Amino acid sequence: MTAMTRVLLLEDDDGIRTSLRMALEDEGYQVSDAARAEDALVMVGELAPDLMLVDLMLGGMDGFTFIRRVRPSSAAPIIVVSARDDTEDIVAALEAGADDYVTKPFVVKEVTARLRALLRRGGTTDEASGREDDPGRVVLDATEPSLVLNMNAGTVWRGDEGIHLTVTEYRLLCELASPPGRVRSRSSLLEAVWDRGFFGDERIVDVHIRRLRTKIELDPSDPQVVVTVRGLGYRLDRR
Amino acid sequence: MTATSTGGNVRRLGLRTTITASFALGALLLSVSMALGTYLLARNYLVDQRERTASRQAFTHASSVRDGLLTSGARVSDVLGALSLPSDGTVVVRRDDTWFSSSLDIGEDDIPAELREMAADGSVGLTWQDTEQGPAVVVAVPLPAVGAHFFERVVTTELSRTLDALRIILTVFAVLTAIAGALLGRWAARRVVAPLDRVAGAAARIAAGSLDTRLDRTDDPDLATIVASFNSMVDAVNDRIARDARFAADVSHELRSPLTALVTSVDVLHGRRDELPARSQQALDLIRSDLSRFQRVLEDLLDLGRLEAGAAALVLGVVDARALTAHAMEAAGVSPERLASAEGAEPATVRVDKSVMHRALVNLLENGERHGGGVTGVTVTSSPGAVVLTVDDEGPGVPRSDRTRIFERFVRGGSRGSLPGAGLGLSLVAETVRAHGGTVRCSDGPAGSGSRFTVQLPAADRRPSNRAPTRTGRSA
Repeated sequence: MTAMTRVLLLEDDDGIRTSLRMALEDEGYQVSDAARAEDALVMVGELAPDLMLVDLMLGGMDGFTFIRRVRPSSAAPIIVVSARDDTEDIVAALEAGADDYVTKPFVVKEVTARLRALLRRGGTTDEASGREDDPGRVVLDATEPSLVLNMNAGTVWRGDEGIHLTVTEYRLLCELASPPGRVRSRSSLLEAVWDRGFFGDERIVDVHIRRLRTKIELDPSDPQVVVTVRGLGYRLDRR
Repeated sequence: MTATSTGGNVRRLGLRTTITASFALGALLLSVSMALGTYLLARNYLVDQRERTASRQAFTHASSVRDGLLTSGARVSDVLGALSLPSDGTVVVRRDDTWFSSSLDIGEDDIPAELREMAADGSVGLTWQDTEQGPAVVVAVPLPAVGAHFFERVVTTELSRTLDALRIILTVFAVLTAIAGALLGRWAARRVVAPLDRVAGAAARIAAGSLDTRLDRTDDPDLATIVASFNSMVDAVNDRIARDARFAADVSHELRSPLTALVTSVDVLHGRRDELPARSQQALDLIRSDLSRFQRVLEDLLDLGRLEAGAAALVLGVVDARALTAHAMEAAGVSPERLASAEGAEPATVRVDKSVMHRALVNLLENGERHGGGVTGVTVTSSPGAVVLTVDDEGPGVPRSDRTRIFERFVRGGSRGSLPGAGLGLSLVAETVRAHGGTVRCSDGPAGSGSRFTVQLPAADRRPSNRAPTRTGRSA
């Protein structure tokens, strides 16, 4: 790691915040913490963190609102901290824009594993089947305006307009595009993008696919690029 | 229950039998006394009537005899022959110590002595007499004008026949009334016991786990009280159960954050373990091991809370039970060689919440490792409709009487007090399996020693699982 990874920690429980901060600093992260979402919003603008750890249950503005407010401007991965039994909260947080979650009570190892997985650099495919002139350039949808994934630059374009994907959405798209046309099961995507093994929560994949579709599909309710293969998983179809 | 415990010969009668018998006995007593009264009244009246008739007839005949004898020179036998007597009547006349009779069969000896004496004293008399033809009325009339005593005997066959018939009719009537009483009693008993049967049925269903069972409302004011009390009792029990569960859930929720902070801080310390003196390191290791135990119990409690909240809190997905078991064995430190691999076996897919089921299986395996002297064998087999998982251990086994109890919370075998982890483990297994619509039981080990735990889960249908999770809580 050349520069220290900046982590923003939003947690209102003093014990957890302080101890987690120490633990992450010992792991080599540069940690800024906040107990209130209002303060954290300001810090996001100033610090441009590489990753955010957000507790959902906060006094004042809650974690969901914080994620929705921060998402348009930041593509950094967000990991939410939730109660284990609030399974609906988890889905709601993912839909608001979170990338992954840990449940209380957690152990530090769990948190750092999630951090590392989401901070891995995406676009690992150098032998991706591209065009003759630019190997990293993949036309996903030739319908005008055409959808183009540029793996070398790490960008996605619809016509002349750049599509703003989060780090995780971009990695998911690259995973599906290497190579296109191959059916990927939910568990294999979980493994590849989130580094979650056997016990991964497949709803994470579903929510991210949904979010990805709203950004890249012309009609998200009738997806043509990222299609669902019933009972198996997802497939990226080039058109 | 004293009657049954004192020995088989004195058995307490059931409520139904008692009610039926009381009705029958009551009806019998009533009808017998009625019949008896009716009989006696009727008999007295009929006998009285008969005696009057006999007396009247005797006086008529006596005056005819007197008039006949007043005629000078008339012989007694002629006078008697002139009488027109009914077939059942016989007249005997004594005159001057000589006896005359209208019939050859009856003479002086057939007239009771007391009547003879009464006639001799000059008074009229009447008495009953048993004859070969049946009871008879004998009337004595002194005839001083002619110096004779008149006796007339009438056999009352028709009276005794009437009384016989009356007796039979009344007896039959009494018996019929008693039978009707018994039938009425049985019907009443059934009416009375029917609500009790319903209560018993509802109680049995509640005991079996359907806690939402209630008795239907009723318009019957007598039953309404029972129904209301029963239902409010069930409500109270339900409230109590819910309160207990909520208490456990609240406590574990409250403990969650401080425990997380504690575990994280101790992890920080552990990362700097080398900076600590040897004694502090020792203390830290102690804290870490106890803390992880604490965390396990708390997670078990949280899972139990989720399971109690019903399947709505479960994240169901279709997984391979063999992979699930293999992961659990790894987590519980059981050698993978213990899993009997079935070659070419059917896929054993189940529809479960992976993480909850994983923790349940880890608990089950750790139970075998810690209390069962080590897990000796694990199998996963699939049969149509079900996936069966067995865990064998070589421990002391579980006494037959404890095999249900060990699945309750905070129960541990007597001599195993010092071993960690007991208490919640098996109850979490039971609750988890139940919430997934399966069963778990404990039996003797296959080799006769140790014990075998068998978990049965419904097999998942292979269709894509995009449907909403079906509710499989304890009320299902």
